[in-house]
Amino acid sequence: MTKDTTPISRQKFMAELWRYRKGSVSRRHFLGVTGLGMATAVLGAAMPGLRPRRAWAQGDIGDRVILATWPNYHDPANFEAFTEATGAHVQMNVFGSNEEMLAKLQAGGSGWDVFVPTNYTITTYVGEDLIEPIDTAKLSNYDASAFESRFADAGAVDGTLYAVPKNWGTTGFAVNTAHLDGQEMTTWKQFFDMTRESFSGRTMVHDYQLTTIGNALKYFGYSFNSVDPAELAEAEKLLIDVKPHLFAISSDYQPAMRNGDAWLTICWTGDGKQLNTDIPEIHYVLGREGGEIWSDYYAIPKGAEHRDAAYALIDFLITPEVNAREVLAHGYPVADSRTNNLLPKEILEDPILYPAAELLDALEFGAAATLTDPNRAELMARFKSA
Amino acid sequence: MRLYALAVYLFLYLPIGVIVLFSFNAGRHASELTGFSVQWYGRALSNPFVMDALATSMTVAFVTAIFSSLFGTMAALALQGMTGLLRTLFDAVIYIAIMIPGIVIGIATLIGLVTVFDILNPLLVTLWPSVNGGAPSLKMGAGSLIAAHTIFTMSLVIVLVRARIAGMDRALIEASADLYATPWGTFRQVTLPQILPAVLAGFLLSFTFSFDDFIIAFFVAGSETTLPIYIFSSIRRGITPEVNAIGTMVLAASLLLLVVAQILLRRGENRK
Amino acid sequence: MDRKWVNRLLLAPAGAWFLAMLVIPLVVVLVFSFGERGTAGGYVPAFTFEQYANLPSRLTAFQNTLILAPAGTLAALLIAYPLAYYLAVRVNPRIRTILLVMVILPFWTSILIRSYAWIFILGGRGIPSLLDMVGIEGVRLINTPFAVLVGIVYGYLPLMVFPIYVSLERLDKRLLEASGDLGATPFATFRQVTLPLSLPGVATGCMLVFILLMGEFLIPALLGGGKVFFIGNALVDLFLQSRNWAFGSAVAVTLVAIMLLTVTFYMRLVKRGSGQRDDAQMF
Repeated sequence: MTKDTTPISRQKFMAELWRYRKGSVSRRHFLGVTGLGMATAVLGAAMPGLRPRRAWAQGDIGDRVILATWPNYHDPANFEAFTEATGAHVQMNVFGSNEEMLAKLQAGGSGWDVFVPTNYTITTYVGEDLIEPIDTAKLSNYDASAFESRFADAGAVDGTLYAVPKNWGTTGFAVNTAHLDGQEMTTWKQFFDMTRESFSGRTMVHDYQLTTIGNALKYFGYSFNSVDPAELAEAEKLLIDVKPHLFAISSDYQPAMRNGDAWLTICWTGDGKQLNTDIPEIHYVLGREGGEIWSDYYAIPKGAEHRDAAYALIDFLITPEVNAREVLAHGYPVADSRTNNLLPKEILEDPILYPAAELLDALEFGAAATLTDPNRAELMARFKSA
Repeated sequence: MRLYALAVYLFLYLPIGVIVLFSFNAGRHASELTGFSVQWYGRALSNPFVMDALATSMTVAFVTAIFSSLFGTMAALALQGMTGLLRTLFDAVIYIAIMIPGIVIGIATLIGLVTVFDILNPLLVTLWPSVNGGAPSLKMGAGSLIAAHTIFTMSLVIVLVRARIAGMDRALIEASADLYATPWGTFRQVTLPQILPAVLAGFLLSFTFSFDDFIIAFFVAGSETTLPIYIFSSIRRGITPEVNAIGTMVLAASLLLLVVAQILLRRGENRK
Repeated sequence: MDRKWVNRLLLAPAGAWFLAMLVIPLVVVLVFSFGERGTAGGYVPAFTFEQYANLPSRLTAFQNTLILAPAGTLAALLIAYPLAYYLAVRVNPRIRTILLVMVILPFWTSILIRSYAWIFILGGRGIPSLLDMVGIEGVRLINTPFAVLVGIVYGYLPLMVFPIYVSLERLDKRLLEASGDLGATPFATFRQVTLPLSLPGVATGCMLVFILLMGEFLIPALLGGGKVFFIGNALVDLFLQSRNWAFGSAVAVTLVAIMLLTVTFYMRLVKRGSGQRDDAQMF
């Protein structure tokens, strides 16, 4: 039996994390009481390579940087720190699907400097000439060897680097177990079947073709990325059948889950972690049939107006210390070994962030074909119109 | 009857009340009251993006109103004396401009401009002398927004001014001509004062429409942000009471404007 | 200078603007509607009717709009008329201005914020929680066509009140007195004197609201939870998510055609009904 020599108990750690996330205590208090602040400082002293390089604070990068990203994906305190260090304010535009980001970029003049594409979209962006190659010389905190390759490979197309990894994650569903009456929910079959029965009017699906159509396909055991018309037709029938029982079609499901309007939703890892931390009855579940494993990246769109600020922001956010704070805030796992070295054991062993191997193996990375396939896009549009 | 009116007013002001109430919320969420605080007003006012969006909205609205009133009045004056094909064509175009849903104006402007820019930008690159860092690149922004808004608002001005002109006493104009006034003189001293209320109303309506517009800006503003766009993004970003604070401030400003206008009008009347 | 040329000059700026920013873009939309979707989205030049053939896939969106828009207009009319009547006929002229201002004031707050207040009022923490307290449980109001209807009526009520008020205000009160003196009941007076004279205002109000409602997208988006699609939502999706510009153009053209037909038909109806002069009106 190992003796618990940690400076803080697991329960107290989680409680303090919750209070910090809610905004009830300051970051300094949190870092202090959990010992993380000390740990970071000690590590920084012991391993100089880990100390944040102040590259992003050099020179005048302008007064703003526009970021296009996903919901609940960052620690606001990090942005404030960035503004303090560089004088540039971060404007955050939030999107619920890669299709929306692509549409905005295709229409031209998006005004973004940095955006967060998912692994399967990058080849399309390169093909449509909407993205710029990354000049790693401007990213002092970028260390290619520190990234796990399966979560970093999609960032390079034909040998050129276009995107650097932010975090990875999975797509499952979040269920408020208080409404389950002791039953266990483990499959996508249950997700859709129970929506039509006991969870009628309480379920949400994403406003996002990849995950909504993908998980409907999983109900039948088909591939998450299928573009086969026959399989898609079955998925469409299921979705339209389920639609009257849905509470909403939205990728911004946290508010509804939090205030009890929704009890069940397709959910991403970090949102699952955030919800579970604040409301322990809400569990994050990976459907046994499978689903999506994904990796998100930072990239710079073509024609970004504030390029220096863009590089400064990316450099800042991939700094291990900053990234560690991001993880604590958003709850998504990261593929960067340097960042992982700074995270407490509880996070690294958290089953929400790091699911069991047999569940992970069943998951598929999204395929580029789903983004360009007109059938999938039209299916989603028909489903929403129905 | 009075009870009914009261009920309707309550219905109208219930959401407003909710908005104002939560703008003073101490907590982060606009769905649970956790205490009283004015922090969100401070945050909204010191938020550079809010101020930026406000500035853009006001500039676009003002320029739109100027163009609309000016060109619209000119067109109204021209049209009322015309007959024939050109007049019929114009009437049809104005009719379409007013009747077409804003979303279609937004889409049409988006598609039209993107197509035009896709043709012009490469041309500019080849034709522009390579001094000062190359050709300017045409893209969506405040200009496209003003251009799109003016379509609707200019039509509004034309309709308003024409209605006013039609209701005018022609005898006055004839009398002015009989008294040897030049056409310009007649215009300046007889016509203009009479149509001025309509022109002013058109100006105000154009400003309001442009300032409050979301749907056209959503499609056409490109990298610019107007206040409605900012508010919409805030709703997607995660609702904090900052949005409530902004809404309350806009409401208060409108109220103030109305009160000031009323006082000025009252004083103008008293002076007469 | 020749009057004709003065006119042409005065007309030129507006004319050029309309040509460049309205006529040409609409023609582009028309052309796009016969095209095809590009591989990753967008538009690819072609000439095909497949976009128009695909219109039925959005039938529900058309249905939702063509049912809820008139329903919303009617509901707004029914609520607005008594209020306009009260303000024009029954209220003391001194406080009338203030009351009128109070009607228009909510209109000055962004419709976005007002709609999102309804999300709270109709959501789990609002009315349903109040109903819960008196024992009526499990009521779901948000993300339903009902919520969208409420949002519509609420959003457009001021716009409906004003034209009706204006036409009622011009009503000569002595007509009402005369009617009463001649032995008509209040209801008959209303039906035969007040109502017909207020019809122009009613027509203007309904037309304004209806036109705006046909293009509506925000209220269904916010209060419908992504489940209630209007034509406006379908259009936003086609251009900003599905990225099918060709089909989106076809839907836009269809919407404009529907609008032209209904508005023109409605105008003829109203003009015939009230025998109005052409020019002096707004429409």
